[in-house]
Amino acid sequence: MIEVSRLTKAYGAFYAVNDVSFQVGKGEVVGFLGPNGAGKSTTLRILAGFLGMTSGQVRIGGHDIVEASFEARQQLGYMPEAAPLYTEMRVREYLQFRAELKGVAGRDRRARVEQAMAEARVDDVAETLILNLSKGYRQRVGLADALVARPPILILDEPTAGLDPNQIREVRDLIKGLGERHTILLSTHILPEVEATCGRAVVIARGRIAGEGTLEELRSKRRSSRARLALRPARGEHEAVEALLRGVDGVKSCKGEAHEGLWRGEITWDKKVDDPELALEELVRRLVEQGHGVREATPSKASLDEVFAQLTTEPQREGEPAEGGAP
Amino acid sequence: MRGFWPVYKRELFSMFVTPLAWIIIVVFLVIQGMHFSLLLGHFARQPEVVADHGPVQAFFGGTIFLYLPLLILCPGLTMRAFAEERRSGTIEALLTAPISTTGLVLAKWLAAVTTYVAMWAPTALYMAVIRKTGELDWNVVATGYLGILGVGCSYLALGVLMSAMTRSQLIALVLGMLVTVGLFVMGIGEMVLDDGWARDFCSYVSVWSQMDDFSKGIVDSRRLAFDLTMTTVPLFATVRVVDSWRWGLWNFSTSMRC
Ligand SMILES: Nc1ncnc2c1ncn2[C@@H]1O[C@H](COP(=O)(O)OP(=O)(O)O)[C@@H](O)[C@H]1O
Ligand SMILES: [Mg+2]
Repeated sequence: MIEVSRLTKAYGAFYAVNDVSFQVGKGEVVGFLGPNGAGKSTTLRILAGFLGMTSGQVRIGGHDIVEASFEARQQLGYMPEAAPLYTEMRVREYLQFRAELKGVAGRDRRARVEQAMAEARVDDVAETLILNLSKGYRQRVGLADALVARPPILILDEPTAGLDPNQIREVRDLIKGLGERHTILLSTHILPEVEATCGRAVVIARGRIAGEGTLEELRSKRRSSRARLALRPARGEHEAVEALLRGVDGVKSCKGEAHEGLWRGEITWDKKVDDPELALEELVRRLVEQGHGVREATPSKASLDEVFAQLTTEPQREGEPAEGGAP
Repeated sequence: MRGFWPVYKRELFSMFVTPLAWIIIVVFLVIQGMHFSLLLGHFARQPEVVADHGPVQAFFGGTIFLYLPLLILCPGLTMRAFAEERRSGTIEALLTAPISTTGLVLAKWLAAVTTYVAMWAPTALYMAVIRKTGELDWNVVATGYLGILGVGCSYLALGVLMSAMTRSQLIALVLGMLVTVGLFVMGIGEMVLDDGWARDFCSYVSVWSQMDDFSKGIVDSRRLAFDLTMTTVPLFATVRVVDSWRWGLWNFSTSMRC
């Protein structure tokens, strides 16, 4: 439903979004995850047709956003960051205006507005001036606005930013419910948000895609940079085991201690090891060949937090063009 | 033109629910009320009213009191059009809706024109007062208002364009006043310059001589053509400016990279 290919946005020599490609399939709820200033809002604004891109191509529901901007915008319910609203209007008035603006036919309008208000749980403030609404309510009015024309695709920029924990939970539940009928792309800079609402995440850092996949995939990508071992050294020679581990190609470091005939410890794989799980398998085979008993060999999982930290702070890999390297 | 109606209605709503429109209308009516009673006093003291130079003619452009409020109040009616949307960020929701830029710009302009017409409507009472006391040439009244409408359309179009140039309504107001006052001052050139192309030009752009014609019941098509140009060109430019935000064409450093 959303296809982004080689999207770039430059402000002068600064690349706010740099060669970003990803896709969101029908019915998916995808988190667009990245620290502040990573380029999330810039990307979403381009997708929504508010900002022009420097280069690249974006299709929304099959419509190119430059060539068929109108059709693309029709597929879309967009909630800008911080949900700016006309504060002099009442909630129902505002949503009726938005529904009409988005081309909802007059006879359906009232029903659609009521439904969107119910879905976003703002029906209790229908007659309140937006000026007098709390941040949480304004955010949900923005959500109701995105929903009111029943677009197949929702793009939400930080839908829970600035809310208190209760409101955050409410909005997340709401998004989960919406995910059953909409394709959703939502941005966030906090990881639990993705865990709570999304099936998949696209991680962006400094304008570039830093990782992509289901949460499980993201986790497993970094899963085996370390492995936990419990060994029963042959003839009780702990030093031999440690020497063997250190000698294995790809093992960066190894630390552990012996206790009642067992050696427990952890090894860390070098970055150049392509498939740490395969390497661990190989390592176990060698340990067994040498006559050591293997009680446990577990690739340790990095927590999502660790993954996120790694993805977003890691320096650029070699071979990629440097930032600002325009022709 | 999609999006015209909802934006037009909302624009009027916002103009009248926030007191901006009311303030402008009240200020305008106070000034015009004083203007009118001054004129009445003046003509009451004159023994004989010369044809073509009655209170109606004087009201429609005989004195500075017609122009001064227009030069300031017209930019006031349009200062918020785009500047406030951009300051508050609501422009983002507006431009990501499936609407046409032309419809959007026309809606904002026409809402201002509608308010402008509402602002003038009570002055029809003055005509009724004159009619009670003497002769009233309805033809002159009609052309007088036509001239007023023409001036308003062009000033408001210029004001909408100025509002699209900045995020601050105050700056939009000042820019709009600079343009309208500039045009007005150019028109004064007609009175001070010697014959020649410069004087002809000044006469052409002069709101003063435009209203002079209209208040005599003369409808000069060149005057109408001028107003039409001064309306369509700024509106067209506004559409270009708004589209350039969307496509980032305004940012030359990025567009050159494509
Ligand atoms: N109009 C602009 N001109 C220059 N730089 C900008 C502009 N808008 C955003 N940026 C920069 O682009 C980067 C990405 O911003 P943004 O997309 O808002 O990040 P995020 O939403 O991920 O926090 C930031 O470093 C920001 O300073
Ligand atoms: Mg942001």
